[in-house]
Amino acid sequence: MSAKLKKSLLYWLMLSPLVVVILFPFGVMFVTAFRPREELFVFPPRWWFSEFRWSNFVEMWEKTNFGQALFNSLYVSIAATALGLLLSIPAAYALSRYRFPGKSAYRTFLLMTQMMSPIVLVLGLFRLMVVLGMVNNLNSLVLTYAAFNMAFTIWMLQSYFSTIPRDLEEAAWIDGATHFKSLIKIFLPLAVPAIAVTSIFSFINGWNEFVLALTMIRSSDDYTLPVQIYSQVAGRYQVEWHHVMAATILATVPVAIVFSWLQKYLIRGMALGAVK
Amino acid sequence: MKSLDGMKPLLMILPGLALAMFIIGYPIYDLGFTSLQEVSRFGKLLGFVGFDNFREVFSDPLFWASLNRTVIWTVTVVLSTLIISLPIALILNDDFYGRGLARVIIMLPWAVSLTMTAVVWRWALNGRAGLLNATLMNMGLIDEPIEWLAEAQLAFTVEILVGILVSIPFTTTIFLGGLSSLPRDSYEASMVDGATRWDQFRHITLPLMKPFINIAIVLNVIYVFNSLPIIWVMTEGGPANGTDILVTYLYKLAFRFGQLGEAAAISLIMFGFLLLFTIIYVALVMRGERQTDTIEEDE
Repeated sequence: MSAKLKKSLLYWLMLSPLVVVILFPFGVMFVTAFRPREELFVFPPRWWFSEFRWSNFVEMWEKTNFGQALFNSLYVSIAATALGLLLSIPAAYALSRYRFPGKSAYRTFLLMTQMMSPIVLVLGLFRLMVVLGMVNNLNSLVLTYAAFNMAFTIWMLQSYFSTIPRDLEEAAWIDGATHFKSLIKIFLPLAVPAIAVTSIFSFINGWNEFVLALTMIRSSDDYTLPVQIYSQVAGRYQVEWHHVMAATILATVPVAIVFSWLQKYLIRGMALGAVK
Repeated sequence: MKSLDGMKPLLMILPGLALAMFIIGYPIYDLGFTSLQEVSRFGKLLGFVGFDNFREVFSDPLFWASLNRTVIWTVTVVLSTLIISLPIALILNDDFYGRGLARVIIMLPWAVSLTMTAVVWRWALNGRAGLLNATLMNMGLIDEPIEWLAEAQLAFTVEILVGILVSIPFTTTIFLGGLSSLPRDSYEASMVDGATRWDQFRHITLPLMKPFINIAIVLNVIYVFNSLPIIWVMTEGGPANGTDILVTYLYKLAFRFGQLGEAAAISLIMFGFLLLFTIIYVALVMRGERQTDTIEEDE
């Protein structure tokens, strides 16, 4: 047996307990979502089930108002991402291209707000939305998600913007283009990949957010997906677990695939590049 | 022209800064103000009472119990995560068959939101029909199903384990970043000197990884200390407040019991703690940047 093969077996053996624990909830999710309702509460509990009930998904969609929650989640995540980017792109550009008074204070401010979690401020945020008359309004989430995400998006964008060479823009200025024109025509096209990756992370943050959505949204028609699914579980005598798991699969799997694919870029937005 | 150039970047950062200041700044101000007021159940401010709310918080046994559990929760989750993640990062940094797949699997918990993870575990741990019981019974490890979430001590332990599980990917990622930046020649030199792998780990890897370990500690403390979804979704701090940590207790006070003054006071206390750790984080990042700068200048 070659040395590498031996090493590989040993490593997989060491990783196996963790791998099992990580994959376990995914297994639970799938076997529950597809099993017939009457096989949910059998005794003794078992993994095995008699048939794949695809109709669970259709039933769940109708009974839990999934479509509406999906739409709400899409609206909030997309609008918050758009608002956040609109404000972040110029700020990130300024950070990567100009020296200005208060720049290092501003960077410190960004790092600090990046760590600010909504939960500690949730009561104050709720009272703010009361003052603004925005309780039970999805736009309250758009505003807060955009604000809390901005430190991350600015930081991530500026780390990419700094890698785009200035020469191209300077050449355009010499040719008589205004700064604004060179920004639109030359800089932004080069920055598209960075902006795309950043918006996807911002989208996922909004998609997954729970505490603020739970707090600000009172009527079930305006629930976002995490709150909608949580409300199927909490404080109910009888939980339709096959529906809950079907909803969980639809709400997480597509996002999880995209996240896993882009995960390696995430670290750049976390100011960790600096530690390296 | 020069002065205009000075103004332009400020104008570019201003709109975003204004939104952040407003959305993050106003609540802090409001919490500070509210914490010094008597507040009705419905959020009406009834007048200045000084530090009465804080006094009430400090004489509340549930606050101390939650604080105590917060410390246990944070310290156990963060320390265990670090201890598990370092060897995992060492393994994933080495070359072996299936490494790509192993990386994807280890990172999976990060890709799913905490809320959804907690919902799935709540079902998996169901005392009657949960598949954890099914698995353990099939393996012959237990004879009777266990009610995992019905008793506070056990429920809290399980929640800590889930907390560790979801913190591993992020921590491993930080460590992998650190390991990939270690200089290869130090290892080769030490091999020549006859060092064992354990020597290498203790005298080269560990000291060089220290900045990454520090960052991982600080960031994890911030994330874990603040984390509501796992405990909220799995037990809502129950049974009988037995799994409440500060965030869940704060949330109940504010949105269930209508104790807004007390909730504001706890928010501020937590904000202070968060601020402290954030300052440590910023200091670590700044120090890292300065070091990178000096290295670059040396080159």
